[in-house]
Amino acid sequence: MSELSNFMSHAVFHALAGLITLVSLMVVASKHPVKSAVFLVVDLFLLAAVYATLESHFVAAIQVLVYAGAVVVLFLFVIMLLNLQPDQLRGLRFNAPEAVTLILSLIGMFIMIGVSVAGKPTGLGDGSLTVEAIADGGGNTYLVAMKLLTDFIWPFELASVLILLAIVAAVVIAKKDHKDQPA
Amino acid sequence: MVPVEFYFMLACVVFTMGLFGALFRRNIIMVLMSIELMLNAVNLVFVAAGRSIGNLDGQIMVLFVITVAACEAAVGLAMVIALFRKYGTVNTDILRLLRG
Repeated sequence: MSELSNFMSHAVFHALAGLITLVSLMVVASKHPVKSAVFLVVDLFLLAAVYATLESHFVAAIQVLVYAGAVVVLFLFVIMLLNLQPDQLRGLRFNAPEAVTLILSLIGMFIMIGVSVAGKPTGLGDGSLTVEAIADGGGNTYLVAMKLLTDFIWPFELASVLILLAIVAAVVIAKKDHKDQPA
Repeated sequence: MVPVEFYFMLACVVFTMGLFGALFRRNIIMVLMSIELMLNAVNLVFVAAGRSIGNLDGQIMVLFVITVAACEAAVGLAMVIALFRKYGTVNTDILRLLRG
Protein backbone atom coordinates (compact mmCIF):
# COMPACT_ATOMS: atom_id res chain seq x y z
CA MET A 1 0.00 0.00 0.00
CA SER A 2 2.74 2.48 0.89
CA GLU A 3 4.61 1.36 -2.22
CA LEU A 4 1.55 2.23 -4.29
CA SER A 5 1.18 5.65 -2.70
CA ASN A 6 4.91 6.25 -3.20
CA PHE A 7 4.54 5.40 -6.89
CA MET A 8 1.50 7.66 -7.13
CA SER A 9 3.28 10.63 -5.55
CA HIS A 10 6.20 10.12 -7.94
CA ALA A 11 3.83 9.91 -10.92
CA VAL A 12 1.97 13.07 -9.87
CA PHE A 13 5.23 14.96 -9.33
CA HIS A 14 6.68 13.95 -12.69
CA ALA A 15 3.47 14.81 -14.54
CA LEU A 16 3.36 18.23 -12.84
CA ALA A 17 7.08 18.82 -13.43
CA GLY A 18 6.79 18.04 -17.15
CA LEU A 19 3.75 20.31 -17.51
CA ILE A 20 5.46 23.14 -15.59
CA THR A 21 8.55 22.89 -17.79
CA LEU A 22 6.45 22.94 -20.96
CA VAL A 23 4.23 25.81 -19.84
CA SER A 24 7.21 27.87 -18.59
CA LEU A 25 8.78 27.48 -22.02
CA MET A 26 5.54 28.70 -23.59
CA VAL A 27 5.49 31.72 -21.23
CA VAL A 28 8.98 32.71 -22.33
CA ALA A 29 8.66 31.86 -26.04
CA SER A 30 5.13 33.02 -26.92
CA LYS A 31 5.13 35.87 -29.37
CA HIS A 32 2.13 37.73 -28.01
CA PRO A 33 2.22 38.92 -24.37
CA VAL A 34 -1.45 37.98 -23.83
CA LYS A 35 -0.65 34.35 -24.63
CA SER A 36 2.32 34.52 -22.28
CA ALA A 37 0.13 35.90 -19.49
CA VAL A 38 -2.44 33.12 -19.95
CA PHE A 39 0.32 30.49 -19.89
CA LEU A 40 1.67 32.21 -16.76
CA VAL A 41 -1.72 31.69 -15.08
CA VAL A 42 -1.57 27.99 -15.98
CA ASP A 43 2.00 27.80 -14.67
CA LEU A 44 1.05 29.40 -11.35
CA PHE A 45 -1.89 26.99 -10.94
CA LEU A 46 0.43 24.03 -11.57
CA LEU A 47 2.93 25.37 -9.02
CA ALA A 48 0.06 25.72 -6.53
CA ALA A 49 -0.67 22.03 -7.15
CA VAL A 50 2.98 21.22 -6.39
CA TYR A 51 2.70 23.21 -3.13
CA ALA A 52 -0.43 21.23 -2.27
CA THR A 53 1.45 17.95 -2.79
CA LEU A 54 4.11 19.35 -0.42
CA GLU A 55 1.41 19.74 2.28
CA SER A 56 1.70 23.54 2.11
CA HIS A 57 -1.98 24.24 1.68
CA PHE A 58 -1.99 27.86 2.83
CA VAL A 59 0.80 28.82 0.43
CA ALA A 60 -1.03 27.00 -2.38
CA ALA A 61 -4.22 28.98 -1.69
CA ILE A 62 -2.34 32.29 -1.51
CA GLN A 63 -0.53 31.40 -4.74
CA VAL A 64 -3.86 31.00 -6.54
CA LEU A 65 -5.50 34.06 -4.95
CA VAL A 66 -2.67 36.59 -5.14
CA TYR A 67 -0.55 35.44 -8.07
CA ALA A 68 -3.02 33.88 -10.49
CA GLY A 69 -5.87 36.11 -9.30
CA ALA A 70 -4.30 39.54 -8.87
CA VAL A 71 -0.80 39.86 -10.34
CA VAL A 72 -1.50 38.25 -13.71
CA VAL A 73 -4.76 40.18 -14.05
CA LEU A 74 -2.70 43.34 -13.55
CA PHE A 75 -0.38 42.18 -16.32
CA LEU A 76 -3.34 41.49 -18.62
CA PHE A 77 -4.83 44.92 -17.87
CA VAL A 78 -1.59 46.66 -18.82
CA ILE A 79 -1.07 44.55 -21.96
CA MET A 80 -4.58 45.31 -23.19
CA LEU A 81 -4.33 48.98 -22.14
CA LEU A 82 -1.18 49.47 -24.23
CA ASN A 83 -2.75 47.65 -27.23
CA LEU A 84 0.62 46.84 -28.83
CA GLN A 85 0.96 46.92 -32.59
CA PRO A 86 2.33 43.85 -34.41
CA ASP A 87 5.65 45.52 -35.26
CA GLN A 88 6.37 45.88 -31.54
CA LEU A 89 5.72 42.19 -30.92
CA ARG A 90 8.99 40.44 -31.45
CA GLY A 91 9.56 36.97 -30.06
CA LEU A 92 12.87 35.42 -29.15
CA ARG A 93 15.73 36.84 -31.18
CA PHE A 94 19.05 35.09 -31.56
CA ASN A 95 22.42 36.38 -32.65
CA ALA A 96 26.01 35.86 -31.54
CA PRO A 97 26.15 37.58 -28.10
CA GLU A 98 22.81 36.08 -27.15
CA ALA A 99 23.98 32.60 -28.11
CA VAL A 100 26.92 33.08 -25.73
CA THR A 101 24.49 34.20 -23.02
CA LEU A 102 22.35 31.14 -23.69
CA ILE A 103 25.31 28.79 -23.30
CA LEU A 104 26.46 30.54 -20.11
CA SER A 105 22.92 30.36 -18.66
CA LEU A 106 22.74 26.63 -19.46
CA ILE A 107 26.11 26.08 -17.74
CA GLY A 108 24.77 28.05 -14.76
CA MET A 109 21.65 25.86 -14.71
CA PHE A 110 23.74 22.68 -14.61
CA ILE A 111 25.92 24.13 -11.83
CA MET A 112 22.76 25.00 -9.86
CA ILE A 113 21.38 21.49 -10.36
CA GLY A 114 24.71 19.92 -9.37
CA VAL A 115 25.00 22.01 -6.21
CA SER A 116 21.41 21.35 -5.17
CA VAL A 117 21.75 17.60 -5.71
CA ALA A 118 25.14 17.37 -4.01
CA GLY A 119 24.31 19.39 -0.91
CA LYS A 120 21.40 18.18 1.18
CA PRO A 121 20.03 20.91 3.49
CA THR A 122 21.20 20.04 6.97
CA GLY A 123 21.46 21.78 10.31
CA LEU A 124 18.49 24.08 9.67
CA GLY A 125 15.73 22.13 11.43
CA ASP A 126 15.32 19.07 13.55
CA GLY A 127 12.73 17.45 11.27
CA SER A 128 10.24 17.43 14.13
CA LEU A 129 7.37 18.85 12.08
CA THR A 130 6.26 15.74 10.25
CA VAL A 131 2.88 15.47 8.54
CA GLU A 132 1.42 13.84 11.66
CA ALA A 133 2.84 16.54 13.95
CA ILE A 134 1.36 19.27 11.75
CA ALA A 135 -2.05 17.52 11.76
CA ASP A 136 -1.89 17.17 15.55
CA GLY A 137 -0.85 20.81 16.01
CA GLY A 138 -3.96 22.14 14.26
CA GLY A 139 -3.08 21.91 10.57
CA ASN A 140 -0.74 23.70 8.19
CA THR A 141 -2.76 26.93 7.97
CA TYR A 142 -3.12 27.27 11.76
CA LEU A 143 0.59 26.70 12.38
CA VAL A 144 1.70 29.09 9.61
CA ALA A 145 -0.70 31.77 10.86
CA MET A 146 0.49 31.37 14.46
CA LYS A 147 4.12 31.68 13.37
CA LEU A 148 3.39 34.62 11.06
CA LEU A 149 1.56 36.60 13.77
CA THR A 150 3.99 35.89 16.61
CA ASP A 151 7.58 35.26 15.53
CA PHE A 152 7.30 37.17 12.25
CA ILE A 153 5.03 40.01 13.40
CA TRP A 154 7.50 42.82 12.55
CA PRO A 155 8.23 41.59 9.01
CA PHE A 156 4.46 41.20 8.63
CA GLU A 157 3.86 44.83 9.65
CA LEU A 158 6.72 46.02 7.45
CA ALA A 159 5.12 44.17 4.52
CA SER A 160 1.98 46.29 4.97
CA VAL A 161 4.12 49.45 4.90
CA LEU A 162 5.79 48.16 1.72
CA ILE A 163 2.40 47.61 0.08
CA LEU A 164 1.32 51.15 1.02
CA LEU A 165 4.53 52.53 -0.49
CA ALA A 166 3.97 50.48 -3.66
CA ILE A 167 0.41 51.80 -4.02
CA VAL A 168 1.55 55.43 -3.70
CA ALA A 169 4.53 54.85 -6.01
CA ALA A 170 2.41 53.16 -8.69
CA VAL A 171 -0.15 55.99 -8.65
CA VAL A 172 2.53 58.68 -8.80
CA ILE A 173 4.54 56.98 -11.58
CA ALA A 174 1.56 56.16 -13.79
CA LYS A 175 -0.07 59.57 -13.33
CA LYS A 176 -0.29 61.81 -16.38
CA ASP A 177 2.30 64.56 -16.39
CA HIS A 178 0.16 67.69 -16.75
CA LYS A 179 3.11 69.93 -17.57
CA ASP A 180 3.93 68.01 -20.75
CA GLN A 181 0.45 67.21 -21.95
CA PRO A 182 -2.31 69.56 -20.86
CA ALA A 183 -5.27 67.23 -20.99
CA MET B 1 7.86 10.61 -0.86
CA VAL B 2 9.55 12.39 -3.76
CA PRO B 3 13.17 13.33 -2.90
CA VAL B 4 13.75 17.05 -2.35
CA GLU B 5 16.43 17.09 -5.06
CA PHE B 6 13.75 16.59 -7.72
CA TYR B 7 12.00 19.77 -6.57
CA PHE B 8 15.33 21.62 -6.65
CA MET B 9 15.97 20.41 -10.19
CA LEU B 10 12.51 21.57 -11.32
CA ALA B 11 13.14 24.94 -9.66
CA CYS B 12 16.51 25.25 -11.44
CA VAL B 13 14.87 24.56 -14.81
CA VAL B 14 12.07 27.10 -14.21
CA PHE B 15 14.58 29.69 -12.94
CA THR B 16 16.75 29.26 -16.03
CA MET B 17 13.73 29.69 -18.31
CA GLY B 18 12.85 32.90 -16.48
CA LEU B 19 16.44 34.04 -16.91
CA PHE B 20 16.26 33.33 -20.67
CA GLY B 21 13.09 35.38 -20.90
CA ALA B 22 14.51 38.28 -18.89
CA LEU B 23 17.65 38.35 -21.03
CA PHE B 24 16.26 37.66 -24.51
CA ARG B 25 12.84 39.26 -24.74
CA ARG B 26 12.69 42.80 -26.08
CA ASN B 27 9.32 43.62 -24.50
CA ILE B 28 9.45 45.07 -20.98
CA ILE B 29 6.20 43.34 -20.02
CA MET B 30 7.73 40.00 -21.02
CA VAL B 31 10.82 40.79 -18.93
CA LEU B 32 8.59 41.48 -15.89
CA MET B 33 6.70 38.20 -16.45
CA SER B 34 10.00 36.31 -16.68
CA ILE B 35 11.05 37.84 -13.36
CA GLU B 36 7.79 36.52 -11.85
CA LEU B 37 8.77 33.08 -13.18
CA MET B 38 12.17 33.31 -11.47
CA LEU B 39 10.57 34.36 -8.17
CA ASN B 40 8.25 31.36 -8.41
CA ALA B 41 11.21 29.02 -8.83
CA VAL B 42 12.73 30.45 -5.64
CA ASN B 43 9.39 29.97 -3.85
CA LEU B 44 9.40 26.31 -4.87
CA VAL B 45 12.86 25.86 -3.35
CA PHE B 46 11.70 27.50 -0.10
CA VAL B 47 8.65 25.24 0.23
CA ALA B 48 10.45 22.02 -0.77
CA ALA B 49 13.43 22.63 1.52
CA GLY B 50 11.17 23.59 4.42
CA ARG B 51 9.18 20.40 3.91
CA SER B 52 12.38 18.37 3.75
CA ILE B 53 13.85 19.67 7.03
CA GLY B 54 10.52 19.87 8.87
CA ASN B 55 10.35 23.63 9.31
CA LEU B 56 7.57 26.12 8.52
CA ASP B 57 9.84 29.16 8.10
CA GLY B 58 10.17 28.48 4.37
CA GLN B 59 6.43 28.89 3.89
CA ILE B 60 6.46 32.18 5.84
CA MET B 61 9.26 33.39 3.59
CA VAL B 62 7.21 32.46 0.52
CA LEU B 63 4.38 34.67 1.76
CA PHE B 64 6.79 37.62 2.03
CA VAL B 65 8.24 36.87 -1.42
CA ILE B 66 4.72 36.91 -2.87
CA THR B 67 4.08 40.29 -1.18
CA VAL B 68 7.28 41.78 -2.59
CA ALA B 69 6.56 40.30 -6.04
CA ALA B 70 3.09 41.87 -6.08
CA CYS B 71 4.56 45.27 -5.15
CA GLU B 72 7.26 44.88 -7.78
CA ALA B 73 4.71 44.01 -10.45
CA ALA B 74 2.55 47.03 -9.55
CA VAL B 75 5.44 49.51 -9.61
CA GLY B 76 7.03 47.90 -12.69
CA LEU B 77 3.80 48.01 -14.68
CA ALA B 78 3.24 51.64 -13.65
CA MET B 79 6.72 52.37 -15.02
CA VAL B 80 5.81 50.53 -18.24
CA ILE B 81 2.75 52.74 -18.64
CA ALA B 82 4.77 55.89 -18.00
CA LEU B 83 7.45 54.79 -20.50
CA PHE B 84 4.85 53.92 -23.13
CA ARG B 85 3.25 57.33 -22.69
CA LYS B 86 6.61 59.08 -23.13
CA TYR B 87 8.25 56.98 -25.87
CA GLY B 88 5.31 55.13 -27.48
CA THR B 89 7.05 51.78 -27.26
CA VAL B 90 7.82 49.02 -24.78
CA ASN B 91 10.87 47.79 -26.70
CA THR B 92 13.98 47.68 -24.53
CA ASP B 93 16.20 48.51 -27.52
CA ILE B 94 14.75 52.04 -27.64
CA LEU B 95 15.16 52.69 -23.93
CA ARG B 96 18.87 53.37 -23.54
CA LEU B 97 18.78 56.48 -21.37
CA LEU B 98 21.15 54.97 -18.80
CA ARG B 99 23.57 53.55 -21.33
CA GLY B 100 25.69 56.72 -21.39
